[in-house]
Amino acid sequence: MTGFLELLVAGLTSGLVVGLAALAVTLVFGVARFGNATTGDAMSLGAYVAFAGANATGSLIAGSAIGVATGALVGAASYLLVFRRLVGRSAVTALLASIGIGLFIRAGIGLAFGHQQKTFQLPLVRPWRIFDIRLHPNDLNLAVVAILALAVTFFVLHGTPVGRRMRAVADDLSLARVSGLAPARVMIALWLLAGAVTSVAGIMLGIKAVITPEMGWEMLLPAFAAVILGGIGHPVGAVVAGILLGTVQEMSTPFVGFTYKIAISFLVLLLALLLRPQGLFGRVEGAR
Amino acid sequence: MEAYIIAIAIVTAIYVLLALGLNLQYGLTGLINFGHVGFFCVGAYVAALLSKHQVSPLVAFPVAALLAGLAAWPLGVVSLRLREDYFAIVSLGFSEVVRLVATSERWLTNGVQGISGIPKLMDGLVPRAAEPAAVLALLVAVNLGAILMMRRIANSPFGRVIEAIRDNEEAVKSLGKDPAGFKMKVLMLGAALAGIAGAFYAHYISFISPEQFVPLVTFQIWMAIIMGGVGRVSGALVGTLILMFFLEGSRFLRDIVPFIPDVEMASIRLGVVGLAIVLFTLYRPQGLMGDFTRR
Repeated sequence: MTGFLELLVAGLTSGLVVGLAALAVTLVFGVARFGNATTGDAMSLGAYVAFAGANATGSLIAGSAIGVATGALVGAASYLLVFRRLVGRSAVTALLASIGIGLFIRAGIGLAFGHQQKTFQLPLVRPWRIFDIRLHPNDLNLAVVAILALAVTFFVLHGTPVGRRMRAVADDLSLARVSGLAPARVMIALWLLAGAVTSVAGIMLGIKAVITPEMGWEMLLPAFAAVILGGIGHPVGAVVAGILLGTVQEMSTPFVGFTYKIAISFLVLLLALLLRPQGLFGRVEGAR
Repeated sequence: MEAYIIAIAIVTAIYVLLALGLNLQYGLTGLINFGHVGFFCVGAYVAALLSKHQVSPLVAFPVAALLAGLAAWPLGVVSLRLREDYFAIVSLGFSEVVRLVATSERWLTNGVQGISGIPKLMDGLVPRAAEPAAVLALLVAVNLGAILMMRRIANSPFGRVIEAIRDNEEAVKSLGKDPAGFKMKVLMLGAALAGIAGAFYAHYISFISPEQFVPLVTFQIWMAIIMGGVGRVSGALVGTLILMFFLEGSRFLRDIVPFIPDVEMASIRLGVVGLAIVLFTLYRPQGLMGDFTRR
C-alpha cells in the first residue's frame, strides 16, 4: 500500500512535467494550429542550458532562469525564422518543419554538451516520512515550481491584455484581425510564453532524473497524448490530462514494467482519438 | 573499391524501396506516415527470425512483407478517419511502440542485444564472392518491380482516386467514395514495401537490434523524398541518392578533417537532416525534381 502511494506521489510530479510540456504544445496548437514537435528537443535544450548556467553561476535558480529565458527566445526565434513563413500552408508542413528544427536542436546539444548523462547538483536531503510514505522535499519543490509556472501562464492568458489577444486569435483568427489585433505581435508573445513553459518542463524533467539529449524527445509522445486527451488548444485540459497521464504511467510500472511505460501514453492517445476525439474538455468542431 | 561500391549500392537500393513506399503514401495519397521505420523494423525482425529457423527466404520475404502490411491494418483502422496531422502523431507513436516491443520481448527478439548471425540471402546459391552482386541485382529487380507497380497504380482509376484524396478529400467524399478505404490499401501496400526493405536489410547487415530502428530513419526517408520531389518516382530516386551521398560522404569527411569523433559525426548528420527538412519545406517544398510552377 505504501509502495502504491509512493508511486502516486512520483506519478503526480512526473504528471506535472507532462502537463507543462502538453501546455506548451497546446498553446501553440490552439493559435498556430499545428503540433509543435520541437517542444521535446526544446525541453532538453532548456535543461542543458540551465545545467550549464547552474554550473557557471553556482546557483540552480539563476541557472534555471537562464534556461527559461533561452527557451523563450528559442520559441520566438523558431516562429520568426520558420513558422511565420509557413502560415497558410498545411498543418503538416509546419509539423514536419518542427521535427526538422528539433533534430537540429538535438544535434546542437550533442555537439555542445556531448552525449554523456548530466545531473543537476542538488543538496542531499533526507526524505520526509508522513504516515510511512517517503516524501522527497525535492519532489515537493518541483511541484511548487510547476504550480507557480502554471499560475503565471494562466495569469498571462486570462489576466493580461496580451493574453486576451492570444485567446482571441486562438478563437477566431479572422475576427481577431478585423477587430484590429496585430497577429504578429500576439504570435511573438505566444511563442515566448510557450518556449518558457517548455524550458520549465525540461528543467523539471532534468532535475527529476538525468539530462540526456534524447530526454525531451521521449516526452513528446506523452505530451501529444495529453494535448489530445485534454482537447486541442485547451490549456486547462492539457494540464489535467498531463497530470492524469503521468500518474497512470507511473502507477502502471508494477504491472507493465519500466519500458512499456511510454506505450501507455500511446494507448491513451488511441483511446482518446477513438472515443472522444474532441478531448475531455474540447469542443467538437475542428477536432476530427 | 568495387566491393565498396556494391555495398553502398545495396544500402541505397534498400533506402529507395523505403522511399518508394513513403512516396506512394505521402506523395500520391497525402498520408503523413511518420512511422515508416516501424514497418521496416517488423519486416527485418520477421525475416531474420524466420531465416534463423532455417525457413527459406522464398517464404520468409513474402511473410515479412505480409506481416509488415498487416501491422499497418490496426493503425489504419483507428486513425485513418481522423485529421491528417493526428495520423502523423499516431504513426510516430506506433513506430516507437514497435521499437519498445523489440526491446522488451527478449524471448522473441533477444532485446537490446539484437539478433546476430542472420544468414546471407544467397548463401550456397552463388559463389561467396558473387553474393553481394547477386543481392544487388535482385534488389534492383525488386525496385524496378515496385516502380512499375507505382506507374500502374498512378495511371489506374485507383491512382486517380488517391491523388484526388490528396488534393481534396472532401470532394472525393462528396462523390460517394470512401477515402478511408483507399487510404488503408495505400498504407498497407507502402508498409509491405517497407517490410521487404527490412527483410533485405536484415539479411544484408546480418545483425539487427532495436537501436537501428529509431525515428531518425523515418525522417531520413522524409528528407529524401522532400528533397527529391514529392509524388514522383524520379524524386524518390534522386532524393535517396543525395541522402546516401551525404550519409557516406560524412564518413569520408572524417578522413579529410581529423579529430572528429564518431559521436560528433552522428550529431552533425542529425543536424544536417534536420536543417535540410526545414530549408526544403521553407524554400523548395516541391523538391528538386518537382513541378516548378506548383507549390
